[in-house]
Amino acid sequence: MSTLQDFTGYKPTWCPGCGNWGIGMALKMAFVEMGMMPSSVMISFGIGCSGNMNDFINAYAMHGLHGRAIATAVGMKLANHKMPVCAVVGDGDCYGEGGNHFLHACRGNHDIKVIIHDNRVYGLTTGQVSPMAEKGQKSKSTPSGIIETPVDPLALAITQGATFVAQTFAGDTKHMVETLKKAFVHTGFAIVNVLQPCVTFEKKNTYAYYMQHVYKLDAAYDPTNKMQALAKAFEIHEEKYPLGVIYQAPRKAYHEEAVADITTPLISQTRFQDFNNLVEEFI
Amino acid sequence: MQYTWKIGGEAGFGIMTTGLLFSKIAARRDHYIFDFVEYPSLIRGGHNAYEVNVSDEPVSSLKRDIDVLVCLNKETFDLHKKRCISQAKIIFDPEVFTPEGDIIPIPVPFTAILKELQGQVIMKNTIALGASLAILGADLSELNSIFEKQFAKKGEAVVSLNQQFAQKGYDAVMNANKEHVISVLGKKETGKKLVINGNEAFSYGAVAADCRFYCAYPMTPASTVLTTLAAWGKKTGMVVRHAEDEIAVINSAIGASFAGARSSVGSSGGGFALMVEAISMSGITEIPIVVFLSQRPGPATGMPTWTEQGELLFAIHGGHGEFPKIILAPGDHKEMIELTLKAFDLADIYQVPVIVLSDMLLSEAHMSIQYDEIQGEVNKYVPNRGKLIASADETYKRYLLTDDGISPRLVPGESKTYYQSNSYEHLEDGHTTESDTERIKQVDKRALKMQKYMSDHFVAPTIIGDINSAQTVFVGWGSTKGVASEAIKQATELGKKAAYIHFSYMYPLDKNKIKTLISDSSKKYILVENNSEGQLGKLLQMEIGVSFEHKILRYDGRALTREQFIEKI
Repeated sequence: MSTLQDFTGYKPTWCPGCGNWGIGMALKMAFVEMGMMPSSVMISFGIGCSGNMNDFINAYAMHGLHGRAIATAVGMKLANHKMPVCAVVGDGDCYGEGGNHFLHACRGNHDIKVIIHDNRVYGLTTGQVSPMAEKGQKSKSTPSGIIETPVDPLALAITQGATFVAQTFAGDTKHMVETLKKAFVHTGFAIVNVLQPCVTFEKKNTYAYYMQHVYKLDAAYDPTNKMQALAKAFEIHEEKYPLGVIYQAPRKAYHEEAVADITTPLISQTRFQDFNNLVEEFI
Repeated sequence: MQYTWKIGGEAGFGIMTTGLLFSKIAARRDHYIFDFVEYPSLIRGGHNAYEVNVSDEPVSSLKRDIDVLVCLNKETFDLHKKRCISQAKIIFDPEVFTPEGDIIPIPVPFTAILKELQGQVIMKNTIALGASLAILGADLSELNSIFEKQFAKKGEAVVSLNQQFAQKGYDAVMNANKEHVISVLGKKETGKKLVINGNEAFSYGAVAADCRFYCAYPMTPASTVLTTLAAWGKKTGMVVRHAEDEIAVINSAIGASFAGARSSVGSSGGGFALMVEAISMSGITEIPIVVFLSQRPGPATGMPTWTEQGELLFAIHGGHGEFPKIILAPGDHKEMIELTLKAFDLADIYQVPVIVLSDMLLSEAHMSIQYDEIQGEVNKYVPNRGKLIASADETYKRYLLTDDGISPRLVPGESKTYYQSNSYEHLEDGHTTESDTERIKQVDKRALKMQKYMSDHFVAPTIIGDINSAQTVFVGWGSTKGVASEAIKQATELGKKAAYIHFSYMYPLDKNKIKTLISDSSKKYILVENNSEGQLGKLLQMEIGVSFEHKILRYDGRALTREQFIEKI
């Protein structure tokens, strides 16, 4: 059995009150409640305030490149599919710089859990708009207001083939823990979009704002109904944020079709040495 | 003796398959070959040509003159007649055109045969093969057995039909032009030969090296590594992934390498350009990766299906920041296999990115190699994974400072500990740091690894020819070795004194082992490169402090020729 202490690394450098604190705690609690150890999970971190969690949580981890955490996680999973793999990323990281990887990881249904810190700004570079910013939002990089409309990440994930799409709120630790645990139980590409206030650079989407605009999906909600799930995802346009598992579908994960011998991790398989067999086609 | 057969026709009608079959038949009859294909960056339309140089001895380049030219259309004759020898044999269809000049016409009624046997246009190739084998003194036994194997699944009728087309072409020559048959392809017994191109050689080497994860996005001329390894995937167990872009390609491969799998990626210059940020990450995280970079003429999209050595300096400098990496540039197909095995070992031993440089010429030209020459090497090869460890205790530090700069690298999963690989500057335990002293320690640690490489693994350039007596000494790298070797051989036969210094271990360079090689003031050193800037020359100027007054630089997308060397001696 592990404890929170086992997973606790350096003291976080996040701003006091930042949503990252809650997300970091919830992830550790989920690991502990699932009986995992720091040595039994691989985490791929992006770059940003979210990615800085690398030093604050213990695991086999890679703090890679901005936007590329999903791509890195894809490789980790294929090399050793017996270990759970998750990616800890921000909204700019995942939906902006890494948008292409996000899209194609949905299609591939790679068995990785992507935890998106959705705070609508670039915190670490001091507050420029992210792809989640509302149209018209002013920032240092968009002094006249951002021209683009925001990404709709839940609908994007559902339509591109993700098999587990959930949303939770950094102000509700218990809900985050439960949602993360469900994501880890799921086999396939799972995204958990965490609504996260940035207390330093984002003045609209505060804890108080989200308290008023989030609501929990009730027990009767059926996440296997794709059209209904899309309708829930589209509620972002009405400033309504459903919390819980919005969509879930069974589909073989990428590694289950890509790794020839699924009983053994790629790294532990017997070395192929029948080289004579290969040269026949060169004769 | 060397003898060149060339076939040309409209793109999209099977020229490449036909050329490769010719090479394989020549190799099965125990001749050596070197072949190369010319094609535009199109699927249909345009001109395709395939040229095979057949020799009694190992051969590593094309020669200047064409001895037999098979013209599936008139354009072929118009484009290539200037390279034909006097009295070259021209195979053509008299219903299409009649070649004129100092040639021996070998008419073959392609159109009539197609009509008679009710074949599709693509069967012209089969007729051409039959006619070609006839004029070169071979029988159809190898071709017929290839058809039996190739079309086994399609049934006896398909096998038989193909054989009939070949026989018709064969008979057309034997009935009307038997006096022009020359015994080029007589059967010999000198051992099994492989007809392999550079991309297949890299692929074969990667499998032999126990690479378990190969990721790529198609880009000419590197694409066939992806398709070759993918075709072998079921047999070898290698996970071969065609990812969404080259950035995903290399980040995934680094993720797989982090998790403990030998991993590799491949592309040409444009795709490599997208990878360089991650190459830098491989440098600081010290996660091994082997990058196959097959060059083509740039910049940007350039000339996709032609050849150039334009990315030596880009490969060396690919990646922001300062970090060690190793660049290898095999000179021929056999060396491609050897250096691919070496590349995976070096990546693991030094925990660095290793780039294997190829180019269109090396990647797509086929060369025959004696199987026993590589079989032994491949069979005895055991992967050297350096300081990769499977277990450690709580005190484990991923970036531990050591005497040689190389830290034990733990495969994730050991239950007693954990660690992070960090693209930020880090402490010995992997945590992020901005400390000035820790920064210096880690920069120096990474640099230290190359000192060990210099003493343990760097290989000085090889010398072809007698350098002591040579008045003229050529200096080149990578695929230039093939043509340079032939040129030196030819020069020696002509009584000229020349040698060639060949670089395969491109970077980092050991100044002491190189400077003495190129500093004899009584010799004329000539830099030879398939690019316009003389990039090896710039590198040697920068690293060693030598400069070249004489240069042969070719940058028209075509390969260097022996004659370009000979005329400078």
